[in-house]
Amino acid sequence: MADIAGVNGQREQFRVVGQRNLPGKLSYTIASGVAQFGNDFVLPDMLHAKFLRSPYANARVVSVDTERARALPGVADIVTWLDEDIVRISSHGESFGPGTRPWIDNIADQEGAEVAVIVVAEDEDTCDRALEMLDVQWEVLPHIVDLHRGRQPDAYVIRPQVREAPTFGAPGMGGPPNPPKRGNVAYSNMISGDAEAGFDAASHIIEYDLYTPAFAAHLPNPSGSVAWWFDDPYHPEGGKSLHIEGAVRERMAIAMMYGLPPEKTVQEGLFMGGKYCDWGLRKSQEITPLLARRTGRPVRCVNTREDMFDFIMKQRYVHMKVGFNEEGLITAVEDDSIADGGVWGSSSFGNVGDLTQGPYNTLKCKNVTQRMEIVDSNRGKMYVSGQHCPFNWDSITMAIHLIAEKLGRDPIDIARLNLHGPNSQDDIDPVPSFEACVEAGKKLMGWQWHRAGAKRLPDGRLHGASFRYQMCPRHSFSSYNCKLELRNGVVHMPTQGPLFGVFAVECNAMVVAEELGLSYDDIQIDFDYRETFTPVGGGSDGTTASAWVMKECANILKLRILEAAIEYANDPPVPGFGHGFGPPPPPPGPFRGLAPDDLDIVEGRVVLKSDPSQGVPFKQATPKNLFATYSGRPPLALWVTGQMGKQLDTMNTAYCEVAVDEETGEVEILRFGVVADPGKVMRPISLESQIDQVMFFSQGCQLLEDFVYDEKTGVKLNNNMIDYKKPGMMDVPRVDREFLETRAGNAAYGSNGISHSLANTHLAIIAIYNAIGVWVDPPATPDKVLSALNKDMPF
Amino acid sequence: MESKIGAGMTLTQEAAQRRVADIISAIPVVLTEYRCPLCARVFPGYSGLREHYEAEHAGAIAPIVVMLMLNGKGCEVLIEPHWTLKRTLQFRLGLTGTKHMCDKGVCGSCTVIMDGRPVLACQILTAECEGRDIQTIEGIAADPKWKPLIDAYCRWDAMQCGYCTTGFLVTAKALLDRNPNPTERECREALAGNICICGTYPRHSQAIIEAAAAMSGGGVDG
Ligand code: FES
Ligand code: FES
Repeated sequence: MADIAGVNGQREQFRVVGQRNLPGKLSYTIASGVAQFGNDFVLPDMLHAKFLRSPYANARVVSVDTERARALPGVADIVTWLDEDIVRISSHGESFGPGTRPWIDNIADQEGAEVAVIVVAEDEDTCDRALEMLDVQWEVLPHIVDLHRGRQPDAYVIRPQVREAPTFGAPGMGGPPNPPKRGNVAYSNMISGDAEAGFDAASHIIEYDLYTPAFAAHLPNPSGSVAWWFDDPYHPEGGKSLHIEGAVRERMAIAMMYGLPPEKTVQEGLFMGGKYCDWGLRKSQEITPLLARRTGRPVRCVNTREDMFDFIMKQRYVHMKVGFNEEGLITAVEDDSIADGGVWGSSSFGNVGDLTQGPYNTLKCKNVTQRMEIVDSNRGKMYVSGQHCPFNWDSITMAIHLIAEKLGRDPIDIARLNLHGPNSQDDIDPVPSFEACVEAGKKLMGWQWHRAGAKRLPDGRLHGASFRYQMCPRHSFSSYNCKLELRNGVVHMPTQGPLFGVFAVECNAMVVAEELGLSYDDIQIDFDYRETFTPVGGGSDGTTASAWVMKECANILKLRILEAAIEYANDPPVPGFGHGFGPPPPPPGPFRGLAPDDLDIVEGRVVLKSDPSQGVPFKQATPKNLFATYSGRPPLALWVTGQMGKQLDTMNTAYCEVAVDEETGEVEILRFGVVADPGKVMRPISLESQIDQVMFFSQGCQLLEDFVYDEKTGVKLNNNMIDYKKPGMMDVPRVDREFLETRAGNAAYGSNGISHSLANTHLAIIAIYNAIGVWVDPPATPDKVLSALNKDMPF
Repeated sequence: MESKIGAGMTLTQEAAQRRVADIISAIPVVLTEYRCPLCARVFPGYSGLREHYEAEHAGAIAPIVVMLMLNGKGCEVLIEPHWTLKRTLQFRLGLTGTKHMCDKGVCGSCTVIMDGRPVLACQILTAECEGRDIQTIEGIAADPKWKPLIDAYCRWDAMQCGYCTTGFLVTAKALLDRNPNPTERECREALAGNICICGTYPRHSQAIIEAAAAMSGGGVDG
């Protein structure tokens, strides 16, 4: 299904795209310590703000007396949930949760929740002292942090509201109506085909459980903002303008929140921190404009690390029942899961609706029943996310390995048997990209599958290996508005950025350079928050999609430059006339009487195609400043057509080898391997980085990360970086990677996105199963491995 | 209010070098005003502030003046005695290249070099730093000697979101100070205390080894 059009698919020679070691446009700013993130900003006369945070997992503030706190020297302002200024504001950022809740109220539905009161003072210490001096009357309510407990019919109902307004990924998207909510439980069910008939046709039925722990968002920078109001001479009407830093990319949401036109909302910073599908605004990013207006001074509000231990993936328990025939062909799937609904306002990503985006769509089998219970809890909030949820195929990856074990056959063969062809679930042809990835992957890993527990390493440890396939998705969810400008002979690419951990602007600049016959350094990036082009929409796969749009724009600019060069040659200025002040205009190129088709651009010069030695630099080719714009998105974006997984173009395969020490229960990941076909490799180091990143994320959530709660109080026990372990330099294993280029995607030059598709793999857990023959729930800490082996800890 | 951000952030290495040099030279050597942290009143001399504390904030611990030796330059700072060096760098000196991620001494984002050794600025009281020789990322980036290290980090994308990067770079500089030709293993061991949530780990050793080669006069492969 290579359906890429025009110059997109036809370009064979690449000078810039695919090059390594081209520094990021903001990299020197970062590396030199100049880059300022939201929490870095310090302004003269700046005040600090802090929220009252709940010490209880579920509680209500009945009353609060602020008098003593207000009297404390250094306290500038205290606002409560009853204050009119607070009642008037509501959030407009991406949250994907029901929007009916007040921006802040007196309900604290998780430990650490911002609740009821905000204190503003000269410094953070004074804020803390003032918060201690509040006289707060709490009504402590029963809490739910154990989903199994929360789904019981007699469980205390923590949130009686109805789940309304389906949002993306919400229960029931595209499926039959779900049962009404009962107690803490909402339902998200989806039935396709006839599972019963599928199980009747099966010769084997297996059942298994899969646990996916919650794990923390990947934000390294404490989230927060600094805001101030100022007189803007360019926009004096309507009072002062707002300057806010720290809510990067969300200027419009802030503008809407405070009823401001966009031109009166300034936000210049470019550095968001590691925002990997975590676009939600924290309250600390939203509140500072209000507090700055009330106090007439700049206000800073920044979360501590403990305050910002939000989920990027909520906890989930899956029970799977899979039927298959003697060959290993899956005939029916029943997927019953219990998922954390989180606190009120959590993102609904990761529910059954999302699973239409891929998990089962790659199978020939169409008899799939999915039933999900979404249990409201007091565990925490998930802000948007989705990086790890919609494409989490590992319930089926596990099935493939279990079938392989049962039948004594290589899981790669079982995957191949079950994978449908390129065009539909009825297509039985092989998928060329899958075959190419598997062939290279087997070589890369020296792949020799063995049955569980059948291989020991020379040092006596058990060896395990795993494999998984995925599609590199045709994401292209968003449309992009872009423009290019030739100004005084230099090509400018205006963009609002930002930088959020993916070199998206750079990838776009490479495409522009490629199409315009320039070098990467020739493209001048003009970062400006007022611009509309932001190459990040729809996740990091947006990079390839936005690059397609930018490529179209570059070709429009190219045509304009060639036309202008001919126009100038046909009608050159008369020497001494018509050029006003300044030096005389340069003589035009030798293009008189030619057509644009006769010309090309090579190394920053407009040249004759027939003789590229004859040409002139841009500045000489035309004295005009030229503009090109393009709005749109690549064709055939499968996500928006509902065909994700039902058509297969570019694929990837991932592998993992582990060694398990039976005496200590310790698991060592010997290496990860990834063979990916992103269609076309645009910026190789970006791809390598993203693959390393998702492998290390996987390592973290499979071996190290989970949220731990005190059952009795519902209090989080490890929301700090000492007790919640993220992989470090000495923990991470080798990652071997290889890229293929089938040019079968729909974005620039036949590329597709890659990052989502490899996030949160269960490769390590499956490899452990292959080593010891028993499932261990992640995170597979030594105690869990030993107990799976029926052994005690050695100490 | 004047904004120092926005346009011009696509800095070349030379421009970034100039920018950090400007930031360092903008730090005043002596204090000319003393602001009360509790009520924001400003006094022309330290004695005025002390008297104000005794009169208005009896029982509260008054701020102190500490003389720091930062990036080769002496400077007075007015701080509260419990302030960490990290806090002082950001809120008194405008040096925001030293980041904080964990505030608990586990992530290395706040690394500075003190008397030749990498230390965590979130774990050190400013008052303990008097008279010690402190280098921050700004000082390192402003020094042309370390251009190859900064450059190698940028060319190898040893950063994604960039938040942890300066902490890694300061640690890497401390490594190269004591071991100008580290092996891959030595690089990893030296950086073991730095956390990169974005997972850029493999590229740091590549960058450091390339920089080491360039600094010792060896070639640099693209
Ligand atoms: S902020 Fe100092 S070590 Fe993490
Ligand atoms: S680059 Fe984002 S934390 Fe390291």
